[in-house]
Amino acid sequence: MTSFRRLLSAGLLSAAFLWSLPSHAGVAEGRKAFEANKCSGCHQVEGPAREKTIKDQMAKKGPELWYAGSKFKDGFLAKWLANPQPIRPFAYNSITERNRGDHPKLSQKDSSDVAAYLMGLKSREVKPLGLPAVDNPRGRIIFVKKQSCYGCHSARVRGKMAGGLTGPTFAGASERLNPDWVFAYLKNPKVFKPVKMMPVYAGILKESELKELASYVSSLN
Amino acid sequence: MFEPRRSFTAALVLGLFLSAGASGALAETAQDLYMFHCAQCHGLKGMGDGPNATKEMPVTPRDHTSALEMGKLTDGDIISAITDGGTATSKSSLMPPFGKTLSKQEIVSLKDYLRKLCNCKGR
Ligand code: HEC
Ligand code: HEC
Ligand code: HEC
Repeated sequence: MTSFRRLLSAGLLSAAFLWSLPSHAGVAEGRKAFEANKCSGCHQVEGPAREKTIKDQMAKKGPELWYAGSKFKDGFLAKWLANPQPIRPFAYNSITERNRGDHPKLSQKDSSDVAAYLMGLKSREVKPLGLPAVDNPRGRIIFVKKQSCYGCHSARVRGKMAGGLTGPTFAGASERLNPDWVFAYLKNPKVFKPVKMMPVYAGILKESELKELASYVSSLN
Repeated sequence: MFEPRRSFTAALVLGLFLSAGASGALAETAQDLYMFHCAQCHGLKGMGDGPNATKEMPVTPRDHTSALEMGKLTDGDIISAITDGGTATSKSSLMPPFGKTLSKQEIVSLKDYLRKLCNCKGR
């Protein structure tokens, strides 16, 4: 009985393993290109988060990517890696130096391979809830009024950029962020970023409000 | 052969864990907390001129070096504003709540830090 079950789960595991190989062409090449281009010098690709103090966070040279497959929307990474445009108005971990927009750029081929590799890095903390990316009045009111998220985050308002500069911009968020990840990040931020300049809102806003916010933020473009 | 090393790491991990627990919040100094969390709006020197304080913002972050402004607040007001945000003291929600981010001790240490910046006492 037990050995049967063990056999079965071993079979399932190897089936899952085999299945994951051919279905994502480029994953292995992507991993190689990631190493070859020294991307891991600035990006953590294995979870969990390790930083415990402000000093740990300040020592990081780039945002962690170990949950990239849960955070980003399909298609975003392949495009961005071939033509990276600033996301954070300031240089990483700085509030005095502007982002110079000098992120390493990859060829089309490497971009799609690396994107396939990164999209395979998922976090189990992000549940597939299928939250919609939609502008909704309750999410918007929290963002612009109740909690003034715009104090640190910019967005495009009627064609013009507005809002604070120390958080990642939400211009283009609708192409970039998975609403389910945004919700998980707001609800359980310590899993993803234990030490960060953004305040924790879990416990201040209700879970339903965090969902409305996640939908709203992910709809911005 | 590997045993001593393993127990050494175990002790190390346990030690780190205990020291983290004992000091509560891993002993960040008030100045480090201020530079990391507050300076982005209030400025590195506390003058209300951080990078988020752009001209378009409807409310200017408080100048923490102003004895005139900061003297209007009791220590309790400062602690409420940091814990629950600007709305707790009938001010703008542009001042965010840090009650779920920082420990009580850290918030009190920041209050003391602000009192040094303004060189003023509470009302
Ligand atoms: C010198 C350090 C450094 C190197 C090397 C580097 N990056 Fe980055 N990376 C950064 C920084 C800093 C950002 C934030 C850029 C921004 O916000 O505009 C970033 C952003 C990213 C993002 C977007 C992440 C997010 O959360 O917004 C991805 C994906 C990424 N890098 C992948 C790569 C890949 C692939 C390579 C190798 C080709 C690479 N990086 C090399 C520092 C680096
Ligand atoms: C005090 C400034 C500040 C405020 C206020 C703030 N944020 Fe942030 N936010 C940040 C910073 C800084 C980061 C980047 C954290 C990091 O990568 O270390 C961030 C990251 C994020 C991210 C992840 C973006 C990404 O691409 O990685 C989301 C989503 C987010 N914030 C939503 C919100 C919402 C919703 C609110 C209001 C309830 C809010 N923020 C209020 C500063 C702020
Ligand atoms: C997103 C920007 C932002 C951040 C980050 C921020 N503040 Fe503020 N703060 C403000 C603004 C804006 C005001 C002015 C509110 C008003 O006058 O209505 C303010 C006001 C205050 C006040 C005065 C409150 C009152 O009742 O008059 C104190 C005290 C204060 N902040 C402390 C802090 C501390 C300590 C931190 C860091 C833990 C911090 N702030 C982080 C924007 C910010």
